[in-house]
Amino acid sequence: MFEVRELTKVYDDGTVAIRDVSFTVDPGEFLVIIGLSGSGKSTLLRCINRLIEPTEGSILWEGVDITTADPGQLRKIRRQIGMIFQHFNLVKRSSVLTNVLSGRLGYVNPIASILNRFPMRDRNLALKALQRVGIADQAYKRADELSGGQQQRVGIARALMQQPRMILADEPVASLDPVLAHSILGYIEKMNQEDGITVLCSLHYLDLVQRYATKVIGLREGRIVYKGSREDIRRMTDREFKEIYGQEAERVSAGFDEKGSS
Amino acid sequence: MAQNQHSELRSMVSGPVALFTSLIVPGLGQSLAGQFRRGILMFGAMGSILGLAYWRIHLLAHREIGFLAKYTKALSRRPHFVIFLSLCTAFLWVWNALDAKRQTVPERRGGSVVFILMVVIFFTMGWQISQINPVKMIRELPDAIPPLSKVLWPWQAAVTRETEEIRAGADILIGCEGKLPPIPEKVPGRPYLKSEPTCGELSRLDENNNVIKGTTLTLTASGFAPNTETQIWWTDNLGNEFRPRQEGEYVAVITDSSGSFEFDLVMPYRLIPPSARGPQIHHVGARQVSAIGSLMIADPLKLTLERMAETIFMGMMATLFGIILSIPVSFLAARNLMSGSWITIAIYYLTRTVLNIVRAIEPLIWALIAVVWVGLGPFAGIIALTLHSIAALGKLYSEAIENIDPGPIEAIQATGATRIQTIMYGVVPQMIPPFVSFSIYRWDINVRMSTVIGLVGGGGIGFLLVQYIRLLDYRAAGIAVWFIAITVAILDYVSAEIRKRFV
Repeated sequence: MFEVRELTKVYDDGTVAIRDVSFTVDPGEFLVIIGLSGSGKSTLLRCINRLIEPTEGSILWEGVDITTADPGQLRKIRRQIGMIFQHFNLVKRSSVLTNVLSGRLGYVNPIASILNRFPMRDRNLALKALQRVGIADQAYKRADELSGGQQQRVGIARALMQQPRMILADEPVASLDPVLAHSILGYIEKMNQEDGITVLCSLHYLDLVQRYATKVIGLREGRIVYKGSREDIRRMTDREFKEIYGQEAERVSAGFDEKGSS
Repeated sequence: MAQNQHSELRSMVSGPVALFTSLIVPGLGQSLAGQFRRGILMFGAMGSILGLAYWRIHLLAHREIGFLAKYTKALSRRPHFVIFLSLCTAFLWVWNALDAKRQTVPERRGGSVVFILMVVIFFTMGWQISQINPVKMIRELPDAIPPLSKVLWPWQAAVTRETEEIRAGADILIGCEGKLPPIPEKVPGRPYLKSEPTCGELSRLDENNNVIKGTTLTLTASGFAPNTETQIWWTDNLGNEFRPRQEGEYVAVITDSSGSFEFDLVMPYRLIPPSARGPQIHHVGARQVSAIGSLMIADPLKLTLERMAETIFMGMMATLFGIILSIPVSFLAARNLMSGSWITIAIYYLTRTVLNIVRAIEPLIWALIAVVWVGLGPFAGIIALTLHSIAALGKLYSEAIENIDPGPIEAIQATGATRIQTIMYGVVPQMIPPFVSFSIYRWDINVRMSTVIGLVGGGGIGFLLVQYIRLLDYRAAGIAVWFIAITVAILDYVSAEIRKRFV
């Protein structure tokens, strides 16, 4: 059980990014956060593993409040929460394998890791993770030699290395080709279903939301304006969609077959 | 192009008035016609052309008083330049007046011919001021070829052999008053030279600087190496040695097959101080110099190699100090790290300003200052190069820091990594390639700079090169130039290769 209670984030310049956000997520859920850019999706996800320090509220995970964890505890919590980014956030000049191994940093001996030494077990784990996302043959290439879709798969493999219990995915397909979106979300869904990893994912396209989400929250100007279950989303009309996205927004097709997605 | 906002301004005067005012004050007519910028530009250009023209004419005739006298003198000294300049200026003046008239008619505003003319005048003046002289270049080429060919192919001076000298001589009394010097004794198997007579008068100059030949001495020598060039040397009563010349050439004889020769030598010219008292004994000698033993590296090559090594290490040390010292500086000069509070922003601007000033001053000038500080030698050069490297690398490094992508850092943090792990995995991999690249590039520049920093006493090969050039030893200078060229070429290649690997 994961619970966010009355979370608020006010930036130094006075911008209120999220305001009184509360929701719960059951283990194994695929929660999708929708909303316009600037609605606070990224801030919300980053507050959960405290890449951004929340101003008020609490985040409860297995009875521990993440917001008050000391640095040591926080690192132990972070290593159980994988994160996938819109721009992949790989170290471009390092090899794919090193990028994947860096997902293991929370577990290994800090001094050995500084010297770039990882246990053999971890190296095998990394190769297995790459195999799982289908790019084991690219392990020794530099990360920036890979295509966008392949880079995001490296990002997923890095998250897998953490052997996470939860994954935060911040617009994982927004900078990819719509066709690639399915392949990437497919891997995340597989982790969700096969390993029982809880997923918190922000998405743009309603079609993708309807296809993958088991639960949806909608954000607008930092507030939750919509909460719905799997069935609610499937029935979601353009009118409701516009309510979340504002009047000017149109339903955007992700460019894939409608039948295949339902 | 001319349809700018100034075209909107209506002309305040009629065409002829604009023409007339511009004839009196260039640019005034244009200004009155509503084209202020054009007027100011015209006035400024005309003013500086007249000022420069007066300066050049004054330099050509600085003794004359009054402009007309100066002008006439200058005209006689440099007719082409003065006539061309006068014609162009007069033409520009008239054109400027016509241009002013044109500007009063809105539809005919603009026009750039007048500015092309100005540029032509400025470049003509530039040619004269910078003393460009292609004729001299071609005329003096024949004289320059011998030293230049020594520089281009200096390798005769790179090797040498040990030499052995055979010499014999006889004393000569100047003036033939007093006791004649003894005739040397002949010892079998040793070189021998005798002079007949053993006294005489030196060559002199009369009041018209014509040479009055001195006494002719008949030199008879034996016991030298056969069929070998033998030099004749003269030693005066003060012990100064020199080789006398006859008909402009140094006196030299070839021995016959038995190692003997006979030669008539006119006693050379030598100024005798009027205060000289008593008998003056000079000495005439014959010398044979022959190379023996195997080839050896000559001093110029040896010194060049030593100085070249010194140069490369100077560049290396300066780069090392530059890197070490510029890393902390670069953090202070990185905007993204220093945007926290107004204090850090002030430090940022201060650091940037100091870096820019230090970088603007050439290493050669820093070397002059450092020489005052620590004296001549490589250390002064290292100080100069280090200062410049800190400024240059500080700027480049700080830009590398500013360009760091925060994404990977965030991603590493999210895995539960410690702060040190985040730096090692998120920051360092992004920093190393630009740091290595800039550092190697700087090393390249520093070695190249240290070849010239010796010119001002900063040690290294430049120091040697200047010495050789001042001694007119063009072969030795040529060796130094060759080694500089070879080293820089190798370095260029190596640094490019290394940088290619890292970026």
